[in-house]
Order: sequence, then structure tokens, then C-alpha cells
Amino acid sequence: MAKKLMKGSEAIAEAAIRNGCRFFFGYPITPQTEIPEYFSERMFEEDVNGCFLQAESEVSAINMVYGAATTGVRAMTSSSSPGISLKQEGISSLCAAELPCVIVNVMRGGPGIGSIQAGQGDYYQAVKGGGHGDYHLIVFAPSSVQEAIDCMGKAFDLADKYRTPAMICADGIIAQMMEPVELPEIRDYKVDPAKKPWAATGYDCKNPVGQRADVTSLYVETEELDVLHERLQGTYKVIEANEVQYEAYNMEKAEIVVTAFGTVARIAKSVIDELEGQGIHVGMLRPITLWPFPYEAVHKAATQPGVKAVLDVEMNAGQMLDDVKIAINGAQKIEFLGHCGSHLPTVEEIKAKILAMKEGM
Amino acid sequence: MKRFIILVGNYGSGKTEIAMNFALNASKTGKTLLIDLDMINTYFRLSDRRDLFEGTGVEMIAPHFANSGVEMLTVPAEIAKAFDMDWDTVIIDLGGDAGASALGQYHNKLELAQKNGAEIVLYNVVNTNRPMAGTPEKLLRLMESMERKARWKVTGFIHNTNMSYETTVEDLEAGYGIVKEASERSGVPVLYTAGKREVLDVFLGREHEARFVGEPFYLETYMHRDWDSLTKKGV
Repeated sequence: MAKKLMKGSEAIAEAAIRNGCRFFFGYPITPQTEIPEYFSERMFEEDVNGCFLQAESEVSAINMVYGAATTGVRAMTSSSSPGISLKQEGISSLCAAELPCVIVNVMRGGPGIGSIQAGQGDYYQAVKGGGHGDYHLIVFAPSSVQEAIDCMGKAFDLADKYRTPAMICADGIIAQMMEPVELPEIRDYKVDPAKKPWAATGYDCKNPVGQRADVTSLYVETEELDVLHERLQGTYKVIEANEVQYEAYNMEKAEIVVTAFGTVARIAKSVIDELEGQGIHVGMLRPITLWPFPYEAVHKAATQPGVKAVLDVEMNAGQMLDDVKIAINGAQKIEFLGHCGSHLPTVEEIKAKILAMKEGM
Repeated sequence: MKRFIILVGNYGSGKTEIAMNFALNASKTGKTLLIDLDMINTYFRLSDRRDLFEGTGVEMIAPHFANSGVEMLTVPAEIAKAFDMDWDTVIIDLGGDAGASALGQYHNKLELAQKNGAEIVLYNVVNTNRPMAGTPEKLLRLMESMERKARWKVTGFIHNTNMSYETTVEDLEAGYGIVKEASERSGVPVLYTAGKREVLDVFLGREHEARFVGEPFYLETYMHRDWDSLTKKGV
């Protein structure tokens, strides 16, 4: 398939359509407004014939996704950090009702209204639960426009497979930059009642076939809620066992291992390539799924023979660092480099930090 | 004589890059004013590269709050000097698609300037590798909408089909066919075909109808859109 020059936002929207998403509900917010803008035109083209609806708020949008998802269709919403905060009650409800959908968070600088530049401060919110209750989202953190496209397909597939919402945590850089990309073929998704028996696709009272669909997040009896939790936790265990994704980069002779995600990992990669040219061997372990987190892979990389230290780099105060520490569990020295808000770690400072660590070895 | 070069086009068509090239070329021979009038998107904009114009004689005007942490672009009153002061060339870089509407408010001033002898050209920059500009129909629909919003007719196309840092001559070839058809159907001429020298020279060496190629426009790349220069030189 011929390449297209696409902005991350457009690529995310187009990838959703090509993976069968025909329902988008959202509300504008920088730096992701191009996602709804793209859908607002593309959904009405003949080969798509889907639904774009600008809701009156982020809260409405996520609840519209809930409504659409109850019918089994592929539905999504997108927003940026402050807007994702508004959606949290809906996200919790979607998890409780076991409804597959995709939520895109183009992270910007926070907390509060913060800044419209790129951020990574929503790690905790995405993987430790921004809403209430015991739940998880499958969370992807793409580090390029192409990877954002690939993650959209996986997010829709895994959401359906496990009856759970999936989230893409991109950031302002991925959403705004343009890169040559390849898109998958367009796919017309049809709800298969055999695979989604729970979906409310219409019930004929006069000729009842099968069960009425009953999608809820309300459990009156404690015992019933226990049954839901048992099922949810069981699903999460299967996801943790099977769906972890990460990239191990330049690990062969690594003395220092960088852990980073999203665009920051891509910046770190530039540093690693540069240092490799100077004979300094630095590897990287980059989680692609932030949940399930690649605990085993991080531990293995950090304790690989020859590795003397780990450097975690993030555009926040060290949120993923918590999971890196859990993974390494004291078996390796860990240092941290990061800035909060939208202050992007630069190639120069990551390089300086690695060289200083190397000096002290 | 005063010349206004105004650039509209689809998102990602390369308006900003072309505006910078026009400005640096014009500054060699005369007083040049470059106006960043992108009111649509606050990222990857002309004023990112303000440093490039230091010492070139190009004066630049940008919206308030451009390159900041808020989305509050407002049109600066300073733009009045494009019409009231003496310039050889005024270049206006508008935002993509609907961004053309930022020009509409200057309709009367532009008409007056034209009456007083200024030349006003509105170029439609086209990159057919962009998703919403990949067919003659899409290009024409977009052009009609931009003309309405800008309250000015397009003078001609600047054909700038590219794939960013992966551009090959085949990109220009594919774009040529689409732009040719859009030009034939609308009667809007192709005034320039743009590209980096190594790509454009190969394209020009091949057989094409000259009237759908226009003048060659050799481009220097100033915007840092590829990942490596983005991270080295800053976002």
C-alpha cells in the first residue's frame, strides 16, 4: 500500500476507521482536535458511512461511547489530559459493564489546564486507574505515528477479545507531527452475535430467540459484585500473561539500560545510536503496553550480564519509575531523569546523564 | 511596486516552507515583511524559525501567544503595517484549509492596495500525498471553500507534492497527474512545481506538459519536521 504523509491525529482517526470503527463521539481540545476534525469529514465519505458526533462535553462523549458499545459496534472517543479526567466516571462504568471501546488520550502538560505542549503526566491516571473501583485498561504508548496506527488496530482487537476498554496514550508530539506512514486495508466490521452474545442488537418479543441483552454496571447484591470482580480479575490475569508488549533495543552489549515510553523513548533512542557510534553501549527497554506492564522483561534487561545501571527517563516526576522499581525489585541501581509538565528531556541532557553515570561506574 | 504573496492550501501542503523560501529570496532584492497568520494550529509554525530571519532583513509578524503553552492565537494589530507601510514584498502564510478565513477581514484593504498598483497573488499550495487532498475532486472542493473563506480568488497552484524527508520523484509524478486534472477542470494555472533540487531536477528532465509544471521552485528545507532535526533543534 502506498504511503501517505499524515499527522498523528489524522493517522489515529484513519486507523480506527480502517479497523472497523464507525462511531466517534468527542469534544475538541488541543492538541488532539484534529482527531474529531478528521472524523467529522471522513465518517461521512461513501466508503465509510459512519457516525461522527460532537458531544456537548467530554462526559457526554464517553457516555455516548458506552451507549454505542452496548450494541457491540466498534466505538471510540478521544481527548487530551484535562478532557480525559472528565471522562473517568464513564471509563470506570465501561470497565464495570465490560464494554469494549477505545479511548485516545493525547497527553499534554498538567496538572490542571496545564499546557498544550506534549506531556507524559497521565501515566498514573491511565495505568493505576483514574476512575473509581478495581479495574484496568489495556494501555498502549506509541512512540511514532506509524506505531500509533498499529496500536489502534491492536487496541480495538484486544478490547473486543477481552470485553474491556483500551486506551492509547499518545502525546502532543505524536498527534501533531507528520510522518510518512503505511495504513492497513479498510475493514468493514460486522457485529458477530456468536462472538458478542451480550450485545444489545435488538430483541423481538414476538419471536424471542436467545437472551435479552442486559448491560449494566450496577450490582445490588454484594455477592453479585463479587462475581463480577472475580471475572474481571480473571480477565486481567489472562491479559497480563498474554498481551504484554515492549521493545528491547540495542541490548546485546548494554552496560546501561534506559527505560522510557512514547516520544521520550524515541529521543532516548537517538542518544543510544549516537553513543553506540562512540563505543558506549546503552540499551533500552521500552514498554509499548503500559498496562500490562512488562515487569519480567524490565527485570531481565536490568539484570542481564554486563548491565551496571538503569536510567529511567520520563516527561513527568517519575510515574513509570514506580513500575520499573517493582520490576527490578532492588536487583539493580536505578537513576532517574525527567521533567514535569511539557518540559521535554533533550538529547543533550540524556547523553550528559548517561556519560556521568558511566564515569561513576 | 508592492507585491503581496498569499499562501493557502491543505494542511501539510508545505505553505510555511514555501513562505520561508519566498521570504528569503525576496529579502535579497527588497524590503520584505513575512506574516505568520496561521490561526488554526499552534504547532510547527513559521514563527518557530524566527531565528533564521535574524540579519536577513526579513521582518516577521506572528499572532499573539504563538509558540506558547496556551491556545489563544489572536491577530496582532501590527498587521496594519503590511498595507500602510512601504514594502517590496509582503508574504502571508495562512493556516491550512479553514485557516484561509483569517484573510477575509483584509478584503477591503487588499482591494485598495490593488487599486493603488500593488500586485496580489494568492497561491494554492498542493501536496497530493495528504489524505484530504489526494484527488482532483478533493483539491477543487477545498479550493472553492478556501476562496470563499479568504474572499479572494486563487491566482494559481504551487504543486508541492512531497513525502517529507522520504520524497522521491515518483511523488511529484503522481501529484502532477492530479494537479493537471484539477487545473484543467478549474482553469486555474499551475504556476510553480516545487521540490528539493535533487528531486525537482529529475522530474523536470522527464516529459511533461509545460503548462502544468510552471516555473521550477527549488526549495530549501527550513522547518524541522523529521524526527532527528526535531529532537536536535527543539520542537
